[in-house]
Amino acid sequence: MIQLYNVYKAYQSSHPVLIDISMVIREGAFVFITGPSGAGKSTLLKILFRWEKFDRGQVLVNRMNIGKIPEDRLYLLRRKIGVVFQDYKLLPNKTIFENVAFALEIMGADRKAIRYQTWEALKNVGLTHKKDAYPLQLSGGEQQRTAIARALVNRPKILLADEPTGNLDPDIASEILSLFEAANKAGTTIVLATHSQDLLRQSDHPIVTLNQGRILETQFTG
Amino acid sequence: MFRNALHYAIANIRSNRQVCLASIGSIAVALSFPGLFLFIFVNLNSFLSNWNREVQLMVYLKDDITQQQQVDIEALLQQSPNAEMVTFISREDAWTDFQTLFADKSGLLEELDFNPLPASFRVHFKEGPDRVDTIRGAADSTKGVPGIESIDYGEQWIASFETFLIFLKIFLVALGGILAMGVLLIISNTIKLSVYSRREEIELMLLIGANPRFIKTPFFLEGIFHGTVGAIISIGLLKLLHLYFQFNFEGTFGSMTQGIEFQFIGIFYIAMIIGASMLVGWLGSSLSVNQFLKSYQK
Ligand SMILES: Nc1ncnc2c1ncn2[C@@H]1O[C@H](COP(=O)(O)OP(=O)(O)OP(=O)(O)O)[C@@H](O)[C@H]1O
Ligand SMILES: [Mg+2]
Repeated sequence: MIQLYNVYKAYQSSHPVLIDISMVIREGAFVFITGPSGAGKSTLLKILFRWEKFDRGQVLVNRMNIGKIPEDRLYLLRRKIGVVFQDYKLLPNKTIFENVAFALEIMGADRKAIRYQTWEALKNVGLTHKKDAYPLQLSGGEQQRTAIARALVNRPKILLADEPTGNLDPDIASEILSLFEAANKAGTTIVLATHSQDLLRQSDHPIVTLNQGRILETQFTG
Repeated sequence: MFRNALHYAIANIRSNRQVCLASIGSIAVALSFPGLFLFIFVNLNSFLSNWNREVQLMVYLKDDITQQQQVDIEALLQQSPNAEMVTFISREDAWTDFQTLFADKSGLLEELDFNPLPASFRVHFKEGPDRVDTIRGAADSTKGVPGIESIDYGEQWIASFETFLIFLKIFLVALGGILAMGVLLIISNTIKLSVYSRREEIELMLLIGANPRFIKTPFFLEGIFHGTVGAIISIGLLKLLHLYFQFNFEGTFGSMTQGIEFQFIGIFYIAMIIGASMLVGWLGSSLSVNQFLKSYQK
């Protein structure tokens, strides 16, 4: 599903952030990326949906050679990938329902499909009772659930999550993790970046540890 | 998709009502200037063509002209292309006409005990687009024929008026160009504000896979809306001016403007102003939106 060969990335003129990273993530896998702050976890995720460019190497996502996609067709790649952002990126002037529906609206889906799929997505994260609330009226965990619902609403093949439990207390964090587990069971390939040891201990998925732009180790637990 | 874009455009306009009104107002005022000059131009042009319709060639004859010379001149004039009617006006006829025209000032005329007016031929030409040119040609070919004292068809007046109109036309094009640039700046700035006020939403749209065209279209519609409404308001202002002129001045200039009405700029010019303004609206907004989206290309 995702293949990286010798991916090298440096932000403008600074020292490299990713150095010759290679990995293969199979369809239906659930992979953790961890490592200290500044190791390049977020950068790696951003490369996968081509929010950032990379300088050398090859990246295949869903059989697309993403280094070769022209700028005006990138949106087609991004539609195949759901992303959960660390800062949620919910629109404050839209309700929870509208925020989730937004991901379908921008693809020009028809109203009926939007209503049905949005409802389903909210149901999956247990938020239907809050559908008319605004993001700022929700707790952090609920906001994160909304963000997950939005990332999954168009049933992407791949879900990327950057520090999805960063600002949440441990109980809420494991609830959130179980949502990812459920999505994974349903067939979504998941790449989750975190430096929370708690979260890593709770699951039995492979863990890739980055350090200073290189893969330090890959653990296969469970 | 288009309905969605329209929906977003309307939301944009609603949430930036102040900026939107300011923008449309400035556009309306800016476009009123070339509109005003266009109005003046159109009317001067119609004065000119009305006047042209009345132009005739006057060929004044020398007092000592021979019978043969007079016959030759008449034949020559009758042969000029498009000549419709050649009338001979004797010295006596001219004198009578003159006296009736200035009857109320006859006190002045009674002092004159001789007839100072020459005999003349008056040549009427057929209507046509090149009427003045035809008359000019006829005048040139009669010049220097023996027995002719002078030729007159108001050429000085027409020539300088035509030159003036050409200058006005150039001025109009230049003014239109400059103000189109002004409108472009106004619209691109307004749209820039509109884009910035939605930058979070736009960034999110890019992140989750919106087609850039989907993002741009509402702003294009917004820019086109500003341009169109601004143009329509400026034409409305112009129409008010036209009505004012009609009610206050039409037909009161006496003989000079008898039968002449104030023309409103034609449907062609109206369509051109609105069309150009729409185009500038689209151009201004696409400048701003594209520039903004480019900042996200890495
Ligand atoms: N847009 C950018 N421009 C320049 N440098 C950047 C940019 N984004 C990240 N970096 C740098 O790249 C390096 C890796 O950043 P990245 O965000 O990928 O790390 P991370 O592993 O996600 O860290 P954290 O755990 O703190 O989120 C850091 O040194 C950071 O300063
Ligand atoms: Mg990070």
